[in-house]
Amino acid sequence: MPTPRRSLADDIRGRSDSELTDLVLARPDLARPSPADLTSLAARASTRASVQRAVEALDRGHLQVLEALVIEGGDVGDRPSTESPSSELDAAGRRDSEPGLFTLLGVESTGDRAVVTGLVDDLWRVGLLWRGDDREHHVVRTVPEVLGPTVAGLGAPIEELRPSLTPRHGDPEALRATIDAAPSPARAMLEKMTWGPSLGVLPQERAGSSSARWLIEHHLLVPVSADRVALPREVGLALRSGRLHRDTVLVPPEVTTRAVSLTDAVAGGSASELLTHLDELAAVWGAEPPRAVRTGGLSVRDLKATAAALDLDLDRSAFVVEIAYAARLVADDGEVVPVWAPTSEVDEWSASEAGHRWASLALAWARSTRAAHLVGRKVGSGLSAANALGPDVQWPAIRGIRREVLRELASLEAGLSPDAESLRERLLWRRPLRPASVLSDALDAVLREAEWLGVTGRGALSAPGRALSDALPGTASPRGRTGTADGASDSAGRAVAVAMSAHLPKPVDHVLVQADLTAVAPGPLEGSLASFMRLSADVESRGGATVYRFTPASVRRALDAGWTAAEFIDTVRRSSRTPLPQPLEYLVSDVARKHGQTRVGGASAYIRSDDESVLETMLAARELAPLQLRRLAPTVLVSGADPRVLVELLRDHGFVPIQEGQDGSVVHAEAPRRRAGSRRRAVPPAVSPVDADFTTTLVAGLRAAEASADERRAVEESRPGPRIPTTDPVVTLSLLRDAVAERHGVWIGVSDQGGGVARHLIHPRRVDGGRVWATDEGGREKSYSVHRITGATLETP
Amino acid sequence: MTDGPLIVQSDKTLLLEVDHPDAEAARRAIAPFAELERAPEHIHTYRITPLGLWNARAAGHDAEGVVDALITYSRYAVPNALLVDVADTMARYGRLTLEKEGFADSPEGTRLVLRTTDRPVLEEVLRHKKIKPLTGERIDDLAVVVHPSERGSLKQELLKVGWPAEDLAGYVDGEAHPIELNLADWHLRPYQQQAIDGFWHGGSGVVVLPCGAGKTLVGAGAMAAAKATTLILVTNTVSARQWRDELLRRTSLTDEEIGEYSGARKEIRPVTIATYQVLTTRRKGVYTHLGLLDAKDWGLIVYDEVHLLPAPIFRMTADLQARRRLGLTATLVREDGHEADVFSLIGPKRFDAPWKDIEAQGYIAPADCVEVRVSLPDGQRMTYATAEPEDRYRLASCSDAKLPVVQQLVARHRDEPTLVIGQYLDQLHELAELLQADVITGETPVKERQRLYDAFRTGEVSTLVVSKVANFSIDLPEASVAIQVSGTFGSRQEEAQRLGRVLRPKGDGRTAHFYTIVSRDTVDADFAAHRQRFLAEQGYSYRIVDADDL
Repeated sequence: MPTPRRSLADDIRGRSDSELTDLVLARPDLARPSPADLTSLAARASTRASVQRAVEALDRGHLQVLEALVIEGGDVGDRPSTESPSSELDAAGRRDSEPGLFTLLGVESTGDRAVVTGLVDDLWRVGLLWRGDDREHHVVRTVPEVLGPTVAGLGAPIEELRPSLTPRHGDPEALRATIDAAPSPARAMLEKMTWGPSLGVLPQERAGSSSARWLIEHHLLVPVSADRVALPREVGLALRSGRLHRDTVLVPPEVTTRAVSLTDAVAGGSASELLTHLDELAAVWGAEPPRAVRTGGLSVRDLKATAAALDLDLDRSAFVVEIAYAARLVADDGEVVPVWAPTSEVDEWSASEAGHRWASLALAWARSTRAAHLVGRKVGSGLSAANALGPDVQWPAIRGIRREVLRELASLEAGLSPDAESLRERLLWRRPLRPASVLSDALDAVLREAEWLGVTGRGALSAPGRALSDALPGTASPRGRTGTADGASDSAGRAVAVAMSAHLPKPVDHVLVQADLTAVAPGPLEGSLASFMRLSADVESRGGATVYRFTPASVRRALDAGWTAAEFIDTVRRSSRTPLPQPLEYLVSDVARKHGQTRVGGASAYIRSDDESVLETMLAARELAPLQLRRLAPTVLVSGADPRVLVELLRDHGFVPIQEGQDGSVVHAEAPRRRAGSRRRAVPPAVSPVDADFTTTLVAGLRAAEASADERRAVEESRPGPRIPTTDPVVTLSLLRDAVAERHGVWIGVSDQGGGVARHLIHPRRVDGGRVWATDEGGREKSYSVHRITGATLETP
Repeated sequence: MTDGPLIVQSDKTLLLEVDHPDAEAARRAIAPFAELERAPEHIHTYRITPLGLWNARAAGHDAEGVVDALITYSRYAVPNALLVDVADTMARYGRLTLEKEGFADSPEGTRLVLRTTDRPVLEEVLRHKKIKPLTGERIDDLAVVVHPSERGSLKQELLKVGWPAEDLAGYVDGEAHPIELNLADWHLRPYQQQAIDGFWHGGSGVVVLPCGAGKTLVGAGAMAAAKATTLILVTNTVSARQWRDELLRRTSLTDEEIGEYSGARKEIRPVTIATYQVLTTRRKGVYTHLGLLDAKDWGLIVYDEVHLLPAPIFRMTADLQARRRLGLTATLVREDGHEADVFSLIGPKRFDAPWKDIEAQGYIAPADCVEVRVSLPDGQRMTYATAEPEDRYRLASCSDAKLPVVQQLVARHRDEPTLVIGQYLDQLHELAELLQADVITGETPVKERQRLYDAFRTGEVSTLVVSKVANFSIDLPEASVAIQVSGTFGSRQEEAQRLGRVLRPKGDGRTAHFYTIVSRDTVDADFAAHRQRFLAEQGYSYRIVDADDL
């Protein structure tokens, strides 16, 4: 490179295309919106917001190295490029500039040093460091700002706290000697502050204050206010024997695991169970949708009722309800009295293949920002516990945690189940700047939900779970193929569905009917049989099998739905592997015997008369046909027409009826199956991914822009005429008017349709209505819009 | 995924497919920890309960064995949560133990100590409001003194909070008394011997055997093993007499050695048979006969029909924890839900054999259960429809329409010993008149009852009309037909008893018949449905026929 590198911008301009691609992939925020050129890319990379984001994404290993570099940079900052001669060259021929770094990190062995070097390279790759010509690493200026005044619990340097002190006071050897000479109470005081915080309150009592005074006199503590003292960075480092961190953890802590078997089978079982729960939820809510409470959730009582209907505990029912919502299978129907009802998508969903159904649930879970485990807990400042489906359950952090957990699980070999505590340690290491409390309940909840879903089986990631993890953006290994975006997920969903289909229990097409009026389905039932059984029998026990019980009420339900006793018996007989017990046949015929003994119908008006012949006449009258009169009894007719219409029409045709009060007309209607309109698909945030393809294009674009900017500059230089400064339109207008008056030539810059600026020498004739009429260089009359004129300058004679 | 016979459900029930080739092995594997809940013809339902798991622990089974049994025989993968739960629950048993410390001849004597291997558990239970007062001074981090009189109450309370204590404090030997089985003309059946061994090794506990399977003999065997003075608690006087006869016949005990302690007689002898009723008699709020429990240094206490044990006896039993206790019953199911008290105060289940198994071994006659439905005449239907709800059951079950059906059935089984069972005295007397048979009710004097039973036994009388009293602990060896005309509201326990009546071993292996006569479209039919369900769940096939089709 011909130009010397003096900044991050220079460094970035010097990076190869693949290095730039890596940078943008690691920090996608740099690419949104696309920067104009590499200089603006560099500028964006050193903004506080972007650096903050990059630093927060660092794991503990990288963070510790970065902290050490910041501290070290402060150390050597005032000795510009007068490198100590002891610097060695490493294997790659790069000068090993980090002896101080190794000491700070307490790294001794060659292997560990290689690790540190690797981490430093990573930090450079993500643009938190830049390399000068000397290949010395420099921390980007914004990083110390982001890390704050105390780095790794160390205070500010002594010269910042007390500029008047000579550098001698920062000399480690001298400090060590002073510290060793300190009286033991003072030593104890220092030791308390060794690992931070570096600020302390001056003790009030006599003994303490005398120790503090000694320390202040010897510049081991520096007073910062009337009652506070600070431990200067140099002193802190000396106390820490030159090491920056108490524990340097450069590599991720091991996740302890145990081998488990039958992972996929267990996952398949859980998945099948979940699908059953959702079918039942749709059936239960379809028949009797629960009210939506005013804040938009499901009331605790309704959740309890749902839990009882599904035979689950509250936590798990909340999970089922929330996942149904996330998968858009239930929604608030938006009516005047809103209820939670299955959406129109349920029917299509139920009809699809089981693996596919599962995939849609699993993807919904992974993408949802709702945390079902918060249901029933007090969240934030809320006074009452969070309701299922309510706004308090929204917690975007949960999505990140789910994905992190999935990524960690995917990094383990198949069939290994992680120990939750060591997994927690690993996640804390991955994101050291995230408050530990974020993970407290969430990790357990995510692991539990993963097990319920069948993403894990016995704690280990199942094959479908792995497929799910691969299908999510950012969960695939960072250097491997990157996941697809949320939007384009059809193929991903298919892969997940295929992975699960293999492990779902095979559907069965038969039941075993027994004399105690139970029917046992020894596996998940096929669609039509499942709905018949759900209709005609009550579910008594769920799990791998389902136990149904025929009761008079359940048989009646089937008859109500239009089954005849013969069809009923026939269907059960055909589906049963065992001979039909006599009591069941008896039960069905007994219920059928009574079924329909009384009839109920609807009519909106009746006509009664003691004179049967009058009613006969009405029935026979052709003109009364539209009333559709029916005879219920010799003296009673009914009609579907409104009583008032009836009365009017009868009067028109010569009868003399009187209207009776409304009591007596009974209207029964079958309860309709409620369906809310499809939940409005929130337009998904259009996240087009910053992936390899995109980045390659972007970098190519940046290069081109860089090149064309150079070219433009060159063309600009070669053009005739003076440089035209950009002028304010007001200034331009007055200048043009002057030129008209004085008949001067004017150089103007006019932006053309291509975005370029053309230069013209014109002689303005008149300025009017935002336009200027003039003769150009060729003597042609032309007009220009003033707003297109970028600047103007008088022709120098 | 294996193709096992067992399906584990999420509500902790186990479904066992009986026709599967491995069903028998699976049944053996799960029987120690899972309670058989229903046993219809194709698929049996077992339930895993904490009590069941603790029973298994008490019998020496460990969680690994249980988990292994589930995984080995399960058709689908067993949910992990269930396995973890099983292991956790089982691990709770024995975390606390009741032990005896010191020596009887040392100056301090012995003391009872609640000891734990796990300090937090002890801390947790000692913080409990009801448990704290039952304990004395703290010995160290892991042990606390318990007053011997609180041994029972403490176990009860600990079970309630889910930390059942293992009682290792042993038993007093009691006053020795020679008792031998008199095996000249009979021998114990294998399962009876197993039951006795199971009990004796366990120390105290319950033996579950169906009616007619010889529970009295298990009691006698236990007495012969203990060779100590014995107190036998039975439900009523008739039952007491039968125990006495059976003991005289089967053991070396003589008439002078066996005492009866009942309303009529108050004898205290080396072997004393007392009724629950006399023990629970109170005068001015005081149990007058409580002294019986301390009248002798009993070495063994036998509770007949544990599932009927009244609550006051539980309280008395709480004070008898130092003595060996044997509970005998046909079922651990208690209508009042006091199963847990049986576990903590009498002891864990020591032996259990499902009815069907014993029947298959030929000791119980197979039964044919038929429900006969009669239609009420129109007049009665109207009366029924307008009756107050509390009168409806009586109206329905005492319908005249039932009488000809009973008559017809009795005629059909003319020469077979037949019991007609009912609840309402009017109805019973009416029936007796119609059938020209004798009636036994609660009012019948004991002597008369004995006479009629003897006559029935010898075949002199072939039909008896009996009321509720016949339900409990009588022994009618030759009854082979039972006709039930009315009964308490669908009680499961009553059904077990009634079925037991006709299930006694028959000389010639005839099929026993059990008829229930029910009025159609009334509450009677609803209650009958409960009873039938119970029968079907016990594996008895039943049919429903209309009275006209008989």
